[in-house]
Amino acid sequence: MSTTTQIAPQSPFKRWLSGVTNSSDLGMLPVIAALILIWIVFEVLNANFLTPRNLSNLAAQIVVTGTLALAEIYIILLGMIDLSIGWNSVLAASIFSLSTVFFHLPVAAGLVLGVACATGIGFLQGMLVSRVGVPSFVVTLGGAMVAEGVTLGILTPHGGSVPLADDLTTAIGTLNLDPVWSWVASILLFGAYAGLTLNSIRKRKAGGSEGGYAAVMRLVGVGVLLFGAVFMLNAYRGVPFLLLIFLIALFASAFVTKSTRFGRHLYAVGGNAEAARRAGISVKGIQLAVFVIAGFLVGLAGYLDAARLGVASASVGNGDIMLNAVAAAVIGGTSLFGGRGSVYGALFGALVIESVSNGMNLLGAASSVRFIVEGGILLAAITIDTVLRMKRMRSGRA
Amino acid sequence: MSAVINPVATGMPLLTVRGLQKRYGAVVALRDVSFSVARGEVTALLGDNGAGKSTTIKAIAGVAPIDEGEILLEGKPVSIRHPSEANALGIQTVYQDLALCDNLGICANLYLGRELVSKPTPFGPHVLRDVDMEAEARKVLKTLRINLPSLDTPVASLSGGQRQAVAIARAVLWDSKLVIMDEPTAALGVAQTAEVLRLVRDLAGQGYGVILITHNMQNVFQVADNIAVLRLGATVMERRRADLTPEQVVGAITGTLAIPGAIPGTTAAGAVA
Repeated sequence: MSTTTQIAPQSPFKRWLSGVTNSSDLGMLPVIAALILIWIVFEVLNANFLTPRNLSNLAAQIVVTGTLALAEIYIILLGMIDLSIGWNSVLAASIFSLSTVFFHLPVAAGLVLGVACATGIGFLQGMLVSRVGVPSFVVTLGGAMVAEGVTLGILTPHGGSVPLADDLTTAIGTLNLDPVWSWVASILLFGAYAGLTLNSIRKRKAGGSEGGYAAVMRLVGVGVLLFGAVFMLNAYRGVPFLLLIFLIALFASAFVTKSTRFGRHLYAVGGNAEAARRAGISVKGIQLAVFVIAGFLVGLAGYLDAARLGVASASVGNGDIMLNAVAAAVIGGTSLFGGRGSVYGALFGALVIESVSNGMNLLGAASSVRFIVEGGILLAAITIDTVLRMKRMRSGRA
Repeated sequence: MSAVINPVATGMPLLTVRGLQKRYGAVVALRDVSFSVARGEVTALLGDNGAGKSTTIKAIAGVAPIDEGEILLEGKPVSIRHPSEANALGIQTVYQDLALCDNLGICANLYLGRELVSKPTPFGPHVLRDVDMEAEARKVLKTLRINLPSLDTPVASLSGGQRQAVAIARAVLWDSKLVIMDEPTAALGVAQTAEVLRLVRDLAGQGYGVILITHNMQNVFQVADNIAVLRLGATVMERRRADLTPEQVVGAITGTLAIPGAIPGTTAAGAVA
């Protein structure tokens, strides 16, 4: 038998199913399954868990972890790590609050300053990593300590925390898109997504490719998740503005990573930097751009955190927001070895991490127990990633 | 197959190299390498380890430019100082490690670094035209009779022969004239080797010039039209395959056998400059 011939299963459903079951890249399915399991467990333990009100809280709680995880996923896709995202986001929030509260700058100016600071730090770290070749682990460890020092330095004279005073930020942090508009927005969004998907399937068919069965299945899945979520959130107060901003950043990132030349090159550099270099891709340029994008998202996360809490405080930066974001990225299926994963992992990974945190709080569990459970989930996710990678290597080289 | 083809009828050789020299510090890697590659033919570049095969292809591919000597492409002297210059001249190299991104799909690898994109919009970056790329790739794969699974399949899940086929298709996808292949069958089983050799023959059949580097004498006699043998950084023999036996080729590679018609001035002793 010719080795380059493959016999395809007959029906598109069978082909899709065998693709899913044979593939070591299951997309978001494992993390969604884990999420459902976690929700069932907490609902059994405490009937207040799966209520519209608690899920609305959860929707706001995932925003900062999710945005930071999104930034981290960009970096991890390169095969690198950024340990500075926690303190950089707190520094951005501090600069925002100080400039608006004490220097009476307009909200927009404060926001630009804070985000520009985080983006600038991303740029500097990216320069050290890409041009000088210092390992990202060390660069961002140093960056985190510097950002921590600067944050403490500028916040300590003000008692370590600065309450926000502007109405716009408070509104963004606490209000919701009302139910009618939530439906309108979600229907428009789904309509656009369905249109793009069906159009691409049509063009594919016209170009002689196989039908997009997987794309249709994905479309159905997205519809169920989206409208289910809107239905649940509308049963309380509608879609939180915070969540909306995170979702916009998420969808923009999905577009950039999956549909643009830059995104293709990002995955290529993460998968095989030498092959990317020989293909004429500027590896250093991609690395630098990724650190800048991540810095921007980190600044945004800092603003969203300040908006949610109504205060910029040095005590929120203490380590675990960064570790939670890394955990969310890995739980969301992003491989620490680089080149594999999807930005949607930020959403589902953050949901897993924050569901556990939220559920444990409902149960009144001590934070000691919470850390152990979250750590256990992270270890399980990383073990699965490593096992899948070894499986891939065996099947790829054999 | 006859060696006495009228040069006017066949035209210029696609590639001619003359007197290539390359030094790495005090080490002389190439002393005097000369051979030519005709359009539609497979030229096997042979030699023992350290004979200068890799240095020669690196020179032609622009990875390690030569110090002295001439490279003529379609009769015109060209200067190749960088891989992008070689690519622009239509010279593509399939390296032994293939240089594929395992995490990306077949189509993404075929177009890596040269993606088809929409015109940039004022607010948007270059958007990939995946559907167009797939349709184009399908055509090229069809002309090469390469049979692959769905084009979004990650390269990691392909067999060694399929990966080699992807790397070769990638090399010819973009108006290349000359394809250089470094040990394409080294890591393959019997059936996959046959498939890749078939592909090498097909490339030549479609008018590409092919330089094949291999240690496998059987492969050479299966696909090569022309054989050039390097020894200690110099060409010791260039002849039509039909005029040679495997024993003679091995003799030229090892320097243990005097070949009638071998390039004069080169002996088994092969003094290094």
